[in-house]
Amino acid sequence: MGNLETLGSFIESAPPGELPNVTTAIKSIVGDKPLSDLQPAFEKYNEEQFTTVKLPGGSQSVVISPYNKLDDGRYFDVESSTSFVFDHSTQKASNAQSYVLDSSNADLIKSLLKSFKTYVDEHYPDSSIGVYPTDNDSKVAVVLVSSKYSPNNFWGGRYRSSYLLTPSSSSLTGTIYVDVHYYEDGNVRLLTEKSVSPSTSSSSAADIVKTIRQTEQKYQEELNRAFVSMSEGAFKGLRRQLPVTRQKIEWDRVGGYRIGQDIGGAKR
Amino acid sequence: MASEDPFDSALDLLRRLNPADTAKNVEAICALNPSLTEDLLESVDVPLAVKKCSRTGREFLCCDYNRDGDSWRSPWSNQFEPPVEDGEGVVPSERVRKIEVAANEAFDTYRELYYEGGISSVYLWDVDDGFAGCVLLKKTVAPSVKSGSGAWDSIHVFEALDRPRAAHYKLTSTIILNLGMKADALGKMDLAGNLVRQVEQDAAVEHDGSHVANIGRMVEDMEIKMRNQLQEVYFGKAKDVVGDLRSLQPLSETNRDRETQREMISNMTNRG
Repeated sequence: MGNLETLGSFIESAPPGELPNVTTAIKSIVGDKPLSDLQPAFEKYNEEQFTTVKLPGGSQSVVISPYNKLDDGRYFDVESSTSFVFDHSTQKASNAQSYVLDSSNADLIKSLLKSFKTYVDEHYPDSSIGVYPTDNDSKVAVVLVSSKYSPNNFWGGRYRSSYLLTPSSSSLTGTIYVDVHYYEDGNVRLLTEKSVSPSTSSSSAADIVKTIRQTEQKYQEELNRAFVSMSEGAFKGLRRQLPVTRQKIEWDRVGGYRIGQDIGGAKR
Repeated sequence: MASEDPFDSALDLLRRLNPADTAKNVEAICALNPSLTEDLLESVDVPLAVKKCSRTGREFLCCDYNRDGDSWRSPWSNQFEPPVEDGEGVVPSERVRKIEVAANEAFDTYRELYYEGGISSVYLWDVDDGFAGCVLLKKTVAPSVKSGSGAWDSIHVFEALDRPRAAHYKLTSTIILNLGMKADALGKMDLAGNLVRQVEQDAAVEHDGSHVANIGRMVEDMEIKMRNQLQEVYFGKAKDVVGDLRSLQPLSETNRDRETQREMISNMTNRG
């Protein structure tokens, strides 16, 4: 693996909320060589992780994704009709301008934003969403990210989902990711990935959001069941809490006693 | 922040990146900064490799403490596999090897009682004022759709320093626990990582056999404690964070429930 590829893989697996820590550590390891080469890795990270940013003067967070990037590298937000420059290494937005959505699905996109927001507000305490035209205006991308960082308690987590809707056929496909990191005197990581292609009754915003809600509800229930199955299954199968006798080991009788007799007078 | 020591930064990075990739990431960091290689290989724990002892046919575990170049010493035969090319390889003194043999026997029983399978190995070496060693345990469970797959690696490194009719023990324990599950409805789920804990204590020593019992008790207590902590972190904390990110119950209902509860409490307090 080349150096750049290595650094890229480190950035790609940075846990939720810990990209600055990972970057600082990388700088210290390579010894303060300039890191401009990392720009593509930061860009990939921000677009894949749906990094959120507050627009200059705005209070609401908007999402960075592959779907709201313009040809000149700027990103746009449908709700505030704004486009902006995004610095991938500092994760700051600047140079906001008015931007008018140009899509044959503009009405659908706007009603999807509204219905989707109602749904996510009911299930995600702190989330950001985006709905954008994609694939030469033949599809609509729906993205959601919900993150929570608690560095003082050594954990962070991120839930992401993204869907592609083809309005002409009402087909819906998507992927849900969960990423949780716990790092107090250790390093524990939960990473999940689930592809979904639920059947839909129509392309109306209400129907699509209802389908997404059912899909995500079902997935979370499935995930909760998997925690139990793993705990009762693989985890229990690895090591018992106590031996079958329910008693701790009598160490003086499983080897120590014998060696004491073997070595006999080795009192010190 | 002032520029950190590269070694500390490497450890910090490894504490953040996916623990399932630690072995690969150690290699990558060493390629970036070769001066860190020796220290990192010594201080970063990765899942243990398994070798077969050609004299006894028994499997044993490999780590930096029983390694000499590309050879590893079997605890069952005290011989290196494959034989060390130059010379004989470092082995413990006769006295410490006797304790090592007894410790391997004792932990083999321990392994059978707690793990009902798996592999154990104990390696000791001489240090000034006593001896040091590591107790290694490894078990894997084959993947199944219903219960998932799992791998457990325990790495207990200790020092036993002589005191009058006693010894001072210093134990650092790492447990690497990697779990995974794949199913149609679930998709892919990986729950991997490690916890590290330390403990120090003095214990009476009547004869060399006492060391085996003392270390045995310390390791047993530590593993019981850490197994509970692993259970809490993997199946409690991780699941709770998922619940913090997404609420199964609509938040308006949750808030209403909380409001009702608050009112009840405040009514009761007012009455009291």
